[in-house]
Amino acid sequence: MNNSLRLLALASVAAPALFLAGCATGVESPSGVPLTEMKADERGFVAGTGVESQDLVTVSDKMARGVLAIPEIANAKQTPRIVLESVVNETRFPISKDIFLTRIRTQLNEKAMGRVRFLDREMMKTLERERDLKRNGQVTASADPSVVEFRGADYFLTGKLQGLTTKTSKGTSDYILYSFRLTDARTSEIIWESSAEIKKQGLEDAAYR
Amino acid sequence: MVNCLNFLSLRRILAAVFALGLLGLMGCATQPERPALRLTGDPIIDGNAHRAAAPVQDHVLWDYRIAASALHAGQPEEAKLHLDTALPLIGGILANDADAKKARSLFSAESTKTFIGEPYERVMAYYYRGLLYWRDSQPDNARACYRSAQLIDSDAETAEYKCDYVLLDYLDGFVSAKLSADGSDAFARAQANAKQLKLPAYDPKANVLIFAEYGTGPRKYGGGEYGEQLKFFVKNSTAHAATLSVNGQTVSLPAYDDLNFQATTRGGRVMDYILGGKAVFKRTTNTVGDVALVGAFIAANNGSRDGDRAALALGAIGLIGKIASAATTPRADIRMWDNLPQRLSFAALRLAPGDYPAILEFQDAAGKTLRGLTQTITLHVDPADRDTVIFLSELKR
Repeated sequence: MNNSLRLLALASVAAPALFLAGCATGVESPSGVPLTEMKADERGFVAGTGVESQDLVTVSDKMARGVLAIPEIANAKQTPRIVLESVVNETRFPISKDIFLTRIRTQLNEKAMGRVRFLDREMMKTLERERDLKRNGQVTASADPSVVEFRGADYFLTGKLQGLTTKTSKGTSDYILYSFRLTDARTSEIIWESSAEIKKQGLEDAAYR
Repeated sequence: MVNCLNFLSLRRILAAVFALGLLGLMGCATQPERPALRLTGDPIIDGNAHRAAAPVQDHVLWDYRIAASALHAGQPEEAKLHLDTALPLIGGILANDADAKKARSLFSAESTKTFIGEPYERVMAYYYRGLLYWRDSQPDNARACYRSAQLIDSDAETAEYKCDYVLLDYLDGFVSAKLSADGSDAFARAQANAKQLKLPAYDPKANVLIFAEYGTGPRKYGGGEYGEQLKFFVKNSTAHAATLSVNGQTVSLPAYDDLNFQATTRGGRVMDYILGGKAVFKRTTNTVGDVALVGAFIAANNGSRDGDRAALALGAIGLIGKIASAATTPRADIRMWDNLPQRLSFAALRLAPGDYPAILEFQDAAGKTLRGLTQTITLHVDPADRDTVIFLSELKR
């Protein structure tokens, strides 16, 4: 009798326990997950092995410091003019490529205090149209519009992203090499080049393998 | 008197166990009610409505479906929007995911995990995004998509089926060739996978890129005793090849890749072992339940007080076994991207900017034109400084 009672008592505990373990399929986080503000150079809880904001910050900071330190920029008698050329992406990660150059440019503009100037080639079509309107007398001009004032580049700043990937049953590993260079527009010499490398790896939950 | 009380207590306990079991079963079935959808017949509008009403775990599934529908309907921006929502998730590392943990547990179905699709589905998400990047004059990002897609296929069980998509390597090399880099390695890999089919040499000056697809892709179903085995229903579609007649030339669009083949040559998943374990647990608890209940029946017919007690104890065990078995859900996740094609093709040609009337025809295995599938279209070729990407599909939705 005692054995039977014990058995039944055990059963009465085991049954709800089993269901408590199994019945977790209701609403996940019913109160939601509060918004988490992260720093751009901080690794978030949503992460991959690709290019992320913290990489962008690390790499562009390093490149901006590098450009400012080179003698051709630091000791230039005339303010050098730089044109940004699209970054080439050779990795397996589709990225917004120009975000690197945009951040390097903004960093340089903030920190260089006028020691370098960037030429806005993205705006060329708009600028040419405006110049033509001035030349045609359709709008006013503060200077002679027939004189060419669009500046030519002294340097081109561009970069390349290259990657190596390994995928095994133990996980995925991605190495990305970020390299940037400044090329003299007149001589084609590369006057500065720098790189940063970042490697990440992870293993997916078994449910996705 | 004491025995009688104990007997009554036993009955109460048994009733409580039974009630708890029922409660548990009822509790497991709770899902928030969703409003009924008003469908319009437009796959994009309806897809978006489904997505809005779907649990968050199914969002990527709807993103896939809507993206394909948008491509078929000539709405690349809509397709991009949905692929860009899906790709960060499928391209990341899904670890420490609560839904995935739940999917691995005994009492939750695999479909409780966030859907990212089987490898062939993830490959197609990248493949489609790649052609859209190319369309937006970002061939290097397109190449990145082809590389990521091929990587997804790198963990097939059998070596010969790893990274064996022809077009992914071919297009990877083609982009490199167009960017004045060396695409020969990728071309060689593509040719090796294409086997007897001879791939066209790269023409870096080709400005019109035709991505064609035809046939109906794989369908998932659950095999095994409890649907615990992920299986694919594959039907060899009628359309085996296609041709495009434009500007006095007939462009061949042979099937370079076959998604039916890709879906069925992956080998087992880690999740299959987990589901197999769940199926074994379900079967075992069910058998234990059966045996205990039969034992309870025999004991109850014994006629003695001890027999009654034993019957109650065995009945409780049997009940727990049956309930545990019923609650175990080893079903494989058969949510699927259901508007994928079977066959993929590509061709590159040179055309001056302008509009060209063209005829797209599909051929069966014997090379005979399938009249009902012929499409008359107009190709618009962009100005010469950018590539024109044309997407052609036999599928309508």
